[in-house]
Amino acid sequence: MIALPSPRAAAAVWRRDLRVFSRAWRGTLLPQFLDPVIYLLAMGFGLGAYLAEVNGIPYERFIASGLVASAAMWAASFESTWNVYWKMEEARLYDAMIATPLEPQDIVAGEAAWAATRATVYGTSFLVIVGLFGFIASPWAIALPLFVALGGLCFSMCGLAFSSLIPKMDYYSYYFTLFITPLFLFSGVFYPLDRLPDWVSIIAFLSPLHHLVEITRGMILGPELLSVLGHSAWLAVVTSLLFLVPARAMRRRLVA
Amino acid sequence: MSAVVARSLRKRYGSLLAVDGIDFQVEPGECFGFLGPNGAGKTTTMKMIYGLASMDEGDLSVLGLDVRTQRREVKARLGVVPQESNLDNDLTVRENLELQAVYHRIPVDGRVDRLLESALLSSRGDDRPRMLSGGMKRRLLIARALVNDPGLIVLDEPTTGLDPQARLAIWEQLDELRERGVTLLLTTHYMEEADRLCDRLAIMTSGRIVALGTPSELRERYGQETLEGVFLAITGREFE
Repeated sequence: MIALPSPRAAAAVWRRDLRVFSRAWRGTLLPQFLDPVIYLLAMGFGLGAYLAEVNGIPYERFIASGLVASAAMWAASFESTWNVYWKMEEARLYDAMIATPLEPQDIVAGEAAWAATRATVYGTSFLVIVGLFGFIASPWAIALPLFVALGGLCFSMCGLAFSSLIPKMDYYSYYFTLFITPLFLFSGVFYPLDRLPDWVSIIAFLSPLHHLVEITRGMILGPELLSVLGHSAWLAVVTSLLFLVPARAMRRRLVA
Repeated sequence: MSAVVARSLRKRYGSLLAVDGIDFQVEPGECFGFLGPNGAGKTTTMKMIYGLASMDEGDLSVLGLDVRTQRREVKARLGVVPQESNLDNDLTVRENLELQAVYHRIPVDGRVDRLLESALLSSRGDDRPRMLSGGMKRRLLIARALVNDPGLIVLDEPTTGLDPQARLAIWEQLDELRERGVTLLLTTHYMEEADRLCDRLAIMTSGRIVALGTPSELRERYGQETLEGVFLAITGREFE
């Protein structure tokens, strides 16, 4: 049986994280805003000096539109891994929450919503920078934060699923080295996948980042709406199915 | 209606039978204590009451509600003081109480100020919990447990590790609650504390309740002058 989260209870968890973030973002979390900017400068302008165009798109624009997606992925991933594990196992904050009317599935939903919020903040901040460079070619970009939130939610659920299953924090080295970093490099942020061997397209189909990159690139440079809908549907379906993993594992873990 | 009714309550962790079929009943307004050595099953029993441990067998009702099927409702009416601090150090002392109200879906009104005052923490509202002394942390944990005006408060070893003065401050905080008619359920391994606070006691070892009664009944029944004597008469004099 699936225990559904209560939206109000999940919102309470979300509010706690927002309160903490509203104090911390100017300090320790600031460097993360610069991450995609550094990639844009190094790869876009550095490599872009040798590569004029990719599929008819100036290289720096190609890569900038993909980095909006990866900025969201990184933000959601940090939040749903280290931060969640810290709260769960070290600070034991979830034990305190479970002793109130909150239930494990509310914590999962609230944390996912928060990590997605953070992904949206970081993705949208970088989108503004992309705009300042004059790289936005389509008015659809204004609606992009909504889709970044959806993608962020998907990465949050991946992180939460992993976090709820591992016995100690050290396992995140596997998560980042074998999952997040390969996604970052092989999902079409830095080069198009369409001229690579066929098996690459299978991997691309399985990569949440690939779907989000297709959306961000489309909406910044000029979308094919049907394709945006298709990729969004993939993200929504995977996120919903994935929710079952942390919802169950978190209950086993917190209510022993 | 009894505050807690437990019937043949059983809980197993792997091969360990942590709680081995216990029966007890806590009446409204009383202070009921579980006394016993570490590993006796006291904490597990508390956790089953406040929803942090699932029960394997038996029946458990809290404030007339079934803990199995009415988890949220039970927890909305309970106050919980855990053995180890799980205060939120990313928030201030005041925010810890405010967020507790948010988790309980009740308005953050003047209650936070009142609670800080009664916990003698009015001047520490903007500090992080980690800056507080052990006794202050425990008082804050009790204040947090009171945010939802609970009818029953569950306290797991409320004074373990505290110096005598800090312990006295906690006892006074608990006396105040009893005067207000709040039901208290606590665990301890201090005989003195059990004697001072509890109307009735259950002595637990190895997952079972081996004696139950008022402190004076227990002393009489076992022909001992102190609770310590009762405890040793029941559990044997050898120490592990």
